[in-house]
Amino acid sequence: MILLIALLMLFLIGLATVYSASTVIPESDLFRKQIMWSIFGLIAFFVGTMISLRRLEEISPLVYFLICLLLLLTLFIGRGPANRWIIIGPIHLQPSELAKAGLILVTAWWLASQKVKPRKFGEALIFLTVIPAVVLTAMQPDLGTAVSMLLIVLAMFVWAGYGIGWIILLVSPIMAAVSSLNILLWLSFMLILIAILYRRKYRIPMWIAFIGGNSIVAALTPMAWKMLEPYQQSRLITFLNPAKDPHGSGWNIIQSEVAVGSGGLSGQGYLHGAQKELAFLPARHTDFVFSVWAEETGFIGCLILLTAFYILFWRTIIAARKSNNPFNSLVTAGIGAYIGIHVFVNVGMTLGIMPVTGLPLPFISYGGSQLVTVLFLFGLVLNAGMYWREV
Amino acid sequence: MFRERKQWSFLSFMLTTFVLLMILIVRLFYLQISSGDYYRGLSSQNHIRVVTKPAPRGLISDRNGVVLADSRPSFIVTAVPSEFDSSNTGLVATLIDIPEETLSRIISEASSVPHRPVVLRASLSVEDVSPIAEYIYRIPGVLIDVAPLRRYHRPEDFCHIIGYVGLSDDPESYRGEITGRTGIELSLNDILRGSPGLHREVVDAMGRVVEEYRGTDSEEPVPGKNVVLTIDAELQRTALEHLEKTGLPGAVVIIDYVNGDILCATSSPAFDSNMFSTGISQDEWDTLLQNPENPLYCRAWTATYPPASTFKIVSAYCLIAEGLINENTMPAPCYGSLTLGDTDFGCWTAHGRLNVIQAMARSCDVFFYRTSQLGSLDELAEYAGFFGLGSRYTEVLTDESSGLIPDSDYLNSTYGSDGWGLGNLLNISIGQGELLATPLQMAIMTGVISSRGLMPKPRLILQREVREPFFPAQVCDDTAFDIVTEGMLQTVISRRGTLYGVFSDFPWDFWGKTGTAECTGENHAIVIGFTREPEPVVICVFIEHGGHGGSIAGPVARDILLSYFERSD
Repeated sequence: MILLIALLMLFLIGLATVYSASTVIPESDLFRKQIMWSIFGLIAFFVGTMISLRRLEEISPLVYFLICLLLLLTLFIGRGPANRWIIIGPIHLQPSELAKAGLILVTAWWLASQKVKPRKFGEALIFLTVIPAVVLTAMQPDLGTAVSMLLIVLAMFVWAGYGIGWIILLVSPIMAAVSSLNILLWLSFMLILIAILYRRKYRIPMWIAFIGGNSIVAALTPMAWKMLEPYQQSRLITFLNPAKDPHGSGWNIIQSEVAVGSGGLSGQGYLHGAQKELAFLPARHTDFVFSVWAEETGFIGCLILLTAFYILFWRTIIAARKSNNPFNSLVTAGIGAYIGIHVFVNVGMTLGIMPVTGLPLPFISYGGSQLVTVLFLFGLVLNAGMYWREV
Repeated sequence: MFRERKQWSFLSFMLTTFVLLMILIVRLFYLQISSGDYYRGLSSQNHIRVVTKPAPRGLISDRNGVVLADSRPSFIVTAVPSEFDSSNTGLVATLIDIPEETLSRIISEASSVPHRPVVLRASLSVEDVSPIAEYIYRIPGVLIDVAPLRRYHRPEDFCHIIGYVGLSDDPESYRGEITGRTGIELSLNDILRGSPGLHREVVDAMGRVVEEYRGTDSEEPVPGKNVVLTIDAELQRTALEHLEKTGLPGAVVIIDYVNGDILCATSSPAFDSNMFSTGISQDEWDTLLQNPENPLYCRAWTATYPPASTFKIVSAYCLIAEGLINENTMPAPCYGSLTLGDTDFGCWTAHGRLNVIQAMARSCDVFFYRTSQLGSLDELAEYAGFFGLGSRYTEVLTDESSGLIPDSDYLNSTYGSDGWGLGNLLNISIGQGELLATPLQMAIMTGVISSRGLMPKPRLILQREVREPFFPAQVCDDTAFDIVTEGMLQTVISRRGTLYGVFSDFPWDFWGKTGTAECTGENHAIVIGFTREPEPVVICVFIEHGGHGGSIAGPVARDILLSYFERSD
């Protein structure tokens, strides 16, 4: 019930903020479109609450596969900013948003089956399954979304009972590659690695595999880097840091900070944001929607919004804990992770403490794919919640 | 496991998100409560201007540290469209000496991004900028800034390799950003350009800077990285001077065949690449384009020509390595031509009976007409590929041509499978016909012989160290290398060699081969060759319409190497 109230609140705040942001865009039908999407979203929400979860568990690999095909298609016929959309008539579909839901489902399915019937190297298999969606998204190129996908999957591993040490071992090659750039960083990484290996009482072959493998990765990274021609190096840097458009992003963040800051304690009043009207933000109804809310409602409004998100997260995780069915529990926890990561990255970006990525603020940002996906996912949370209450 | 771990997972989830939530709230508190008044003041009376500080482009220098391209400061006048008062248009136009219509057009075009300063005039000297500097505080929205301007120290010697820069028209770039247009400036633009700095200034209604913005620190420009060429700038100059003395267009390429460094690659006529840095005028541009010798066109790697008789080193190598001939093979004598069907394939004189070494030294075509029939066209084409023809060798010369190796697939698609025959093979075996190569490739081809197949892929940028030979080890044949090398030596020292006498005063040994590429008008003259002492280099001198290979290109090759070696001593 608390969850439902938080959900409703966020949904309404979202509509109100998009309305406010859309008032300064001349001749815009953004708000009408968002209402239309909300209707779709509500349908998806009810579908989510009523769908048979057992059935969903069975078809989740298929769902995931279809979404991967859609992502592949986006690479070829993608339109819009950074080719992220598929455009069919009036509908702008952003498959990478759907892919997050698909990933949560397929990871939950794998992890749940791993509980019932553990296989050797099952975890490796799960990662192989996850990789296509992440790589296809990264190729759009949308590295921010791809990283958020990986974080959601890792959070689900934690929920499934894999310890932090295990997760560190899993991502150790990446950490080895990154830390190899600085000798102190690399030494401390190796110490952590040794501590984990020692605590987990691994046998000698595992020691050799992890210490040796990561040393090789760390040794090869700078060499491979030097082997690259300079123009290849700069291409790689641009890929890893696509938002490094000093004029665009730099400007947006300052304006966002000014908007947030000028909100003060209680804000400038709904529909009365001054910065918003200067039309400084090209993405004020999407990526930077939080700054509109912050300017108009101030610190108090922000606290209300963030608290609503935290309550939503808290109730979701409670539901995940109470669920007896591994699949339901994992899906619910994955959705919790989705909310947590998105809110922190997006709000952090508008406050100038996180890099500029295209991650939307769930419920609040304008965007159909995102709204429908997130409402459907919370339909599933309620569904799973009802399931355990009945059992 | 699932059950026991759940409590721990639950706690770690809640704790992590709680910490993250606190971070957001602390930051919000800082922005909205602690600095709320500051920001509110900003948004009502003042506004923030983001000023781009251009990054100096990286230096380009030669292998000995001679600076070839750097930046010098110049002034630019910019305007922030949202702050610019259109009643000042006339005044500003007069002060910076541009037509009033141009000024208002620039401003209105830039108004779509009103906060971004737009360049009104660039590359100004102190004298140019002083009239407006006096008025600058009375004209809101107009700024004077210092911007680096590209300067080339040897504009003509390096006009093709380094290329030139111009104003960027990429929508992502900031106004007034310069970008590489040709050559290294283009291909290594991302390395050379660095990243611009950003200054956030709080300005009042009059456009005066009140203070630096407190929220986010300014970013200082990061200068572009330097690039070191393998070229020896003195050698490059010597080569161009000797080329220009001939009065004909041409190219010289010199490569160190031990490490693959391209020491010299020059094309004549050259042009002054500094003209582009300050913005080339229409007149200058038209003069360049209308010059019949087309200075913009690089003859060292963009233009392709038949390698002519220089290709005989490849033909000979292929025949020997495939076991089709040996050093004693003497086909029927050369009577000055060979008749095949109803076509006459000419030679330039009647050579008589020759072995392969003599045939190379005296450049007898008939020898190769007869022997090439022992092999196949595709075999020869394959060897041509091994020797470096038909593909691009540097990644940094964007206008490098790959040339053309005509194999049977190519001839089939061009002439149809019945449209060509043995005659094409005969022509190709002496480097004529459809075969096309750049002077750079002719030098690479020579490098395979001089290094006995060990020369690494040539390079123009002095950075990477480990490189493999490109010539496949399985076709390395010691006998073939010996014979071809001997043929090239005899070309220079035997009395009837085509380079006989040219190198008589040259204090070191020289191995050479001439080529005379047939074309409409006077033939092109080519000389390729190499030295072992005092330094291991290959040279290719190409002179457009220079007539017979040895007589004009030979002395040029000798003089360039002579002055290079004497300087190195």
